[in-house]
Amino acid sequence: MVHFAPLDYFWTIAYLILMIGAGTIFYRLGKRSESDFFLAGRGLPWWLPAISNFATHTATDTPMWFSGLVYQKGLYGMWYSLFAGWCAISAWVSTRIFRRSLAGTQAEWQTQRFSGLGAELLRGWLAGWQVALSMFIAGWVGIAMGNVCHYAFGWPLWYGLVIFSTLCTIYVIAAGYWGVIIADVQQGITMLIVIILVSIWAAIAAGGPSHIVASLKQMGQNEMLNPFRMTGFMSGDYPALWMITMIVVPFLGGFGMATHFDWFVEAQRIQSARSIRDASYSIWWGTATVIVRNAIWGIAILALYVMTSGKLSAKEAQLGWFIVGFKFFPVGMVGFFFAAILAIHISSIAGILNLGSMYATRDLYHHYINPKATEKKVVWVGRVMTVVVLLGSFFFGMMIGDNIIDWLFFALWLMIAGTWLPNILQVIWWRFNSWGYLSAWIANLGICWLVVWVLPAFGIIPDLPDYQQFWLLIILVAAVYIPITFLTKPDDMDRLVKLYVQTRPIGFWGPVKREAERRGLLQAIDEIDRKAEQMA
Amino acid sequence: MALIKRKWTAHEADEWTKEDWIAIVISPFSYILICMGLAMSFFLLPLGFLLLGIGIVITFIMFFVIDPKLKAVSSGYEKKQHEYLKELERIQRWEEK
Repeated sequence: MVHFAPLDYFWTIAYLILMIGAGTIFYRLGKRSESDFFLAGRGLPWWLPAISNFATHTATDTPMWFSGLVYQKGLYGMWYSLFAGWCAISAWVSTRIFRRSLAGTQAEWQTQRFSGLGAELLRGWLAGWQVALSMFIAGWVGIAMGNVCHYAFGWPLWYGLVIFSTLCTIYVIAAGYWGVIIADVQQGITMLIVIILVSIWAAIAAGGPSHIVASLKQMGQNEMLNPFRMTGFMSGDYPALWMITMIVVPFLGGFGMATHFDWFVEAQRIQSARSIRDASYSIWWGTATVIVRNAIWGIAILALYVMTSGKLSAKEAQLGWFIVGFKFFPVGMVGFFFAAILAIHISSIAGILNLGSMYATRDLYHHYINPKATEKKVVWVGRVMTVVVLLGSFFFGMMIGDNIIDWLFFALWLMIAGTWLPNILQVIWWRFNSWGYLSAWIANLGICWLVVWVLPAFGIIPDLPDYQQFWLLIILVAAVYIPITFLTKPDDMDRLVKLYVQTRPIGFWGPVKREAERRGLLQAIDEIDRKAEQMA
Repeated sequence: MALIKRKWTAHEADEWTKEDWIAIVISPFSYILICMGLAMSFFLLPLGFLLLGIGIVITFIMFFVIDPKLKAVSSGYEKKQHEYLKELERIQRWEEK
């Protein structure tokens, strides 16, 4: 149990007031319009969404799974955290294309990229999926907070889940995305400072970097400092194919959209940036900060490994970073550490609640249910939907309980495995149509549960390692959507030409480009550019 | 003709060119080298410092190559954005189609 001195209570309460106040103060901006409530008016300089990107992707569960993996596998475990690497290529490719589309959400993109009934079904599907996924992720992050509070204060799991998510809902309801962004800035800076401080404290407590290296050697665990170790192509604990999967899949995913569930969060930040360059930089630098953060965490966890002689159980190791902070921070600073945990938690929850609400409001309510709704009404529906997503998160949070890492790999990788390639094809290949894409989503949802949980449980297929499940899912789902794509008609050429002229997608768009040229559209756009340049 | 084009018109910048591909290829290496290099550097491992150093240098090269083009893409596109947004708001409404 963690003991709080009066100064610790001061830090915690003061910081909670600061976080909620900073968000709520932007109430007037948030209520101006739908675009303000969900995209902060589309006018942010790159560093604001970049910090928000970092803050949102540093959630309460993040140090848990990161600690668990690095404590178990050493620096090799950091490869898991490189799933964020999709931003490396996305910043220069899909971010640019998506920003040019001006679609508010990934669901809205569907009705720009595809045409007819298929496009509308896709928009509805993705909107519903994203609302449910937002509930799931908010629940997952929320229950991680439940676990931290259970460790620190002995509270029942649901206390930590419900109390802090509910508190941050105040400013999300009041100011929407404006509140999220502004609170993210101070939360992001606070958490980065505390992450650095915890690592310094841990390294000092373990005797310094040289002593940690020497201790690992003494323990016969020198390899924990080698992130590139391998035990064969597909054999042993560190197969090369696993590492290849970890590099190829996230990074190449940057050519597509929605190849990782974080894309949906980033898509909102991309459209809130004031220009294409700002959008690209926000994605690149936000993720670069995430990657630097992981490296900083690494030393804290290996310091803990040395101090505990590697004897923590898997569940204790998940709480490794929190143990370091609570144990080694001096009295009076423990409250500051807990305030930083609150920042980590609340920034993610706030972003996810606003995101889920955006899909429910913009894509379901405003697009399908009440297209003539006034801006004022849409903003109000946005607020109600924020509460709906919050309540849904409580259900998912209690379902996950204390099983964070098991759910992580399934949610992060396997639930999107079958749609990984289709998500790229929708960007780079004109002939990939709405029916192919829709069938991929539906087939993936069924097949991933079969391959990961159902068939192994009945002994029909062996319990495969996760990276093999990933490639198997890609092949099985492709067997569904590739025939469907070729058996159905391409999307309407008018729609494809319009998309091409506006977004200039990369890849195989030859027939569409020729049609745009035949209609004189590219020449007309170029003429506008030339005139504007001459005037400038 | 310069190896790396540094002056772009909005019209030229609309096309995907080798400058984009240079950024696309360098960017993943930049993330990997910075992540692993920094983590190993904290333990004062010489290989870590080497990887981190290479990571920082190639990151600088990447931005040197891509930034002029992104500026041109942005300035060209922002001029048309207003019209696109108006059109988008119109097609956003399901019943009007």
